[in-house]
Amino acid sequence: MHEHEPWLTALFNDHLAGVANSILGIFKITAENPERPWATWLVMELLVAAIIVVLFAALRPRLSVDNPGGLQHLFESLHDFIKTTVQETGIEHPDKFLPYFGAVFIFILFMNLIGIIPTFESPTMSASVTLGLALCTFIYYNGWGFREHGPTYLAQLLGPVLWLSPLMVIIEIISHLARPLSLTIRLYANMLAGEQVTTAFEGVVALLVPVIFMGLHVFVAFLQAYIFTLLSMVYVRGAVSHEH
Amino acid sequence: MAKKVMFLAFAMLVLVAMPVFAQPAAGGAAPSTDLGGGLKYLGLALGMGIASGLCALGQGKATAGATEAMARNPGNTAAIRTALIIGLALIESLALYMFVIVLRG
Repeated sequence: MHEHEPWLTALFNDHLAGVANSILGIFKITAENPERPWATWLVMELLVAAIIVVLFAALRPRLSVDNPGGLQHLFESLHDFIKTTVQETGIEHPDKFLPYFGAVFIFILFMNLIGIIPTFESPTMSASVTLGLALCTFIYYNGWGFREHGPTYLAQLLGPVLWLSPLMVIIEIISHLARPLSLTIRLYANMLAGEQVTTAFEGVVALLVPVIFMGLHVFVAFLQAYIFTLLSMVYVRGAVSHEH
Repeated sequence: MAKKVMFLAFAMLVLVAMPVFAQPAAGGAAPSTDLGGGLKYLGLALGMGIASGLCALGQGKATAGATEAMARNPGNTAAIRTALIIGLALIESLALYMFVIVLRG
């Protein structure tokens, strides 16, 4: 089924199809439609990454202690916001984790917001993208858990009381596996629902009503980026905290 | 007097809803012998309705608790509002899981 491609994806498919096919060939994968191998979500994700890199490249020379500009204020307040949120979640030494949480928050926020621009599409509307992000969080918090506790990190699965362990292991494994699943579906469904609702209302009243839903989409974009980051922090805290 | 008005309004509503009974005749024009296919859509619709309804109940309770807490202690409105928004988003996501199933078929 050929659906209408955004112009950027068509651009990539027209000129860079060979690149995509050769990269896929390294992994022995053939695209669904080898003549148009670039998926929209991949193109949009690369675009968002490029935008973020350009933004930070523009920020870096403008950083100054004595005379901060507007961009510096914005990113300083963002940094403080994430640091306070990490501290509120209960992690003792937030500086070790700030790079990942900041990166995840900014990346998801930009990916969500790019869907507002008319000819672009949020890459987070595709489950592939959100699954990738959720797996990053999964590997991150488990990695830190192993780093802090060593192999005894797995003892967390046994639960509080020893004679409950057989039951607790099953429950804990299922809940640990449910975390990336819920992160994936929550972000993906929110973005997809926003776009579907806007499209549905555009079919009914094309003039001003969809603007309300696009405004809601902006709010949901911020909220879902925040929720994803917050839940990542909660999982990291659960993995890293030294209790009793 | 109010009771009479209510009764009249209800009667009018029922009269207006009469055309609903005409639908099987219109829909029966193209009869489908595939009961399974139809049941799938019925299941999806009912599931989505139940999910949305229960989600609304949960969010209503969350908002009620939050507004009451804000009324009792206006000082920490910001913290309560943050907790409310997080709670609402997490409850919302449960209804969205059902929406994903609906969208997928």
